[in-house]
Amino acid sequence: MSRRWSALLLLLLFAPALFAAPLRIGSKQFTESVILGEMARLVARQAGVDAQHQRELGGTSILWRALQHGDIDAYPEYTGTLSHELLKNVAPDADIASLRAALKPLGIGITDSLGFDDTYAIGMREDVAAQLGIGNLSALAAHPALRLGFSNEFMDRSDGWPGLRQRYGLPQKQVRGLDHALSYRALVSKAVDAIDLYSTDAEIPYYHLRVLADDKHYFPHYQAVFLYRLPLEQSAPAFVDVLKKLAGRIPVDAMRSMNAQVKLHGESETDVAAGFLGVPSDQGGSSFAARLLQRTLEHLRLVLISLSAAVLLAVPLGVLSARSKRLGQVVMAGSGVLQTIPSLAMFVFMIPVFGIGTWPAIAALFLYSLLPIVRNTCAGLSGIAPDLRESAAALGLPRGVRLRRVELPMAMRSILAGVKTAAVINVGTATLGALIGAGGYGQPIVTGIRLDDTGLILEGAIPAAVMALAVQGVFEGVERWLTPRGMRIEARQ
Amino acid sequence: MSANQEASPAAFELDKVSKRYGNLMALDQVSLAFAAGSSTALIGSSGSGKSTLLRVLLGLEWPDQGTVKADGLVLVREHVLELRRRVGYVIQDGGLFPHLTALGNLALLPHHLGWSRERIRERAEALVALTHLPQSALDRYPAELSGGQRQRVALMRGLMLDPDALLLDEPLGALDPIVRHELQDELKQIFERLGKTVIVVTHDIAEAAWFADRIVLMRQGRVIQDGSLDDLRQRPADPFVTRFVQAQRTLGDAA
Repeated sequence: MSRRWSALLLLLLFAPALFAAPLRIGSKQFTESVILGEMARLVARQAGVDAQHQRELGGTSILWRALQHGDIDAYPEYTGTLSHELLKNVAPDADIASLRAALKPLGIGITDSLGFDDTYAIGMREDVAAQLGIGNLSALAAHPALRLGFSNEFMDRSDGWPGLRQRYGLPQKQVRGLDHALSYRALVSKAVDAIDLYSTDAEIPYYHLRVLADDKHYFPHYQAVFLYRLPLEQSAPAFVDVLKKLAGRIPVDAMRSMNAQVKLHGESETDVAAGFLGVPSDQGGSSFAARLLQRTLEHLRLVLISLSAAVLLAVPLGVLSARSKRLGQVVMAGSGVLQTIPSLAMFVFMIPVFGIGTWPAIAALFLYSLLPIVRNTCAGLSGIAPDLRESAAALGLPRGVRLRRVELPMAMRSILAGVKTAAVINVGTATLGALIGAGGYGQPIVTGIRLDDTGLILEGAIPAAVMALAVQGVFEGVERWLTPRGMRIEARQ
Repeated sequence: MSANQEASPAAFELDKVSKRYGNLMALDQVSLAFAAGSSTALIGSSGSGKSTLLRVLLGLEWPDQGTVKADGLVLVREHVLELRRRVGYVIQDGGLFPHLTALGNLALLPHHLGWSRERIRERAEALVALTHLPQSALDRYPAELSGGQRQRVALMRGLMLDPDALLLDEPLGALDPIVRHELQDELKQIFERLGKTVIVVTHDIAEAAWFADRIVLMRQGRVIQDGSLDDLRQRPADPFVTRFVQAQRTLGDAA
């Protein structure tokens, strides 16, 4: 029995080598950011600097923390986000020079404006806006019944909806949070009447939208810049140099058309960025099978490492919980609380400790796996008839031997059911790991949502579902293998 | 055996042992001695404390007051594992572990003590002959055995290390009457052949008298009478003794 266990654990613990790190450029989970990230990578490559691009790392807070933590070396950001959200002691309309001064103590450098402003704006369907006679934001105040759909970020930040409502005295009550990638669909299908958008969004002309004029000059400037770690000025001056040279090169219409090429014409960010820069694209046209294999390996790695670490901790915790009622309650409460933390929040909590990439995702999945395993181990052990437990004691076997030879084998079925539950949950939750750079099946899902590309979403969702089924199947086999035969036959009377 | 009974210390001795579960006095100032090689039956209704008494002897429960001695030595926690290995313990359903075959159940303790596979098999086969278990039953799981076979395996498990004493807690309680009758005969023969100290708990006075000359009747944690069946019948220490003895129906009652 113990040999089987160790064989299983060895198999689960099989972990590929850690990645070696060239310069790392991050980007947020929207197309423009990804294009800018690709642009930085391409100009770096032209200058002979080895750089990689970690795409679509979720929202601002993830990238900002990753940059401060040194997990990424540079990422595209906007001045308004810096002055309103990330830096506490600067004026809301601070210029780049004062931002540079404020960032310096944090060890962060900032380039000059890349040449365009990607500010928030409010958009409506042209036909609806015309019918209601709404041309600017002030006019919204006269239509309290309008339904507004805002990205979650816009809903929450002080320079978003709360400030906008105050400045224009807006009375609307029906305000919903929407994923930015989905909000155009909601607007076009008339599920909402107005959404927040970015002034460089490709969809504005495509969907015939009217951008409402900001007549009270509420929205600040959101000039695109690159942030980078200041130590790079010494360690990688060539890289900082090419970032700085991007300043002023990208006008707003160029950016909008690049966005459109990617979002509406399905071109790759790499090709579009390379085309704009006039350099050859290096997109490795990896086949579908190769991509699938790579993502499968990444995904399996997330699930297997987190799961086996959880088994190593949760089974002993379950044993302790079964032994001491008081301790059991503490352990159950603790792992129960962990379970209630929303997945994305859990991933973000892990960044200060583990940075971005595979390890914070593994840590988060590990924590999620604890509860089902602890609970089932404890339940399996507590479910053993007192008569049998006492028989083992009466034989004169020491406690440890009783646990190993009698109690754990009898609880095996329940323990394995807990591990199986944890594994299946992990396969699903691991898809969110893509938002913090962990790769896996979540990558095409994240990209697919961003590009509104159902095929791409399915490229991640279907393998994830298949893997969940496979995990289920594998565990049923393991269960059969590890559950003693005597436990599977019904007692004869 | 009876010659040196006086000289050697009692196999088990209880001195004013009390054990309380909440409001229930399971044992109330019980003092008893069990001579080495003797057979004793503990009887009483359920809740009379007879099972608790066995469990106290094995260190499965610890008395709130009083002392327990085994072979003249006061029982302490450090020595409880050695004691249990010198005593075979059989409970009502046998207490066999469902994940192990009959042989696996028998081998559990000897294996831990470092016996070789051959030695375990050899001992098991010797016990198969003693308990009339079919040889093939050794490789079956408890769920594949009949109730009587399970009880035989449980007895074998108790005898694997050739212990000095056997404690049996309602060993035949879960069996149908025919099997029960057959096993009563066999157990009695086995007890006589082995000459070990035997304490058997039962609530059936006929079974008690069949197994042992000495019968200890308990009620609410106390020893009411300690003597032979004749003593209980002819010289009851308490009206309860008479009631208990008469409460056992015979075929005559039914007719």
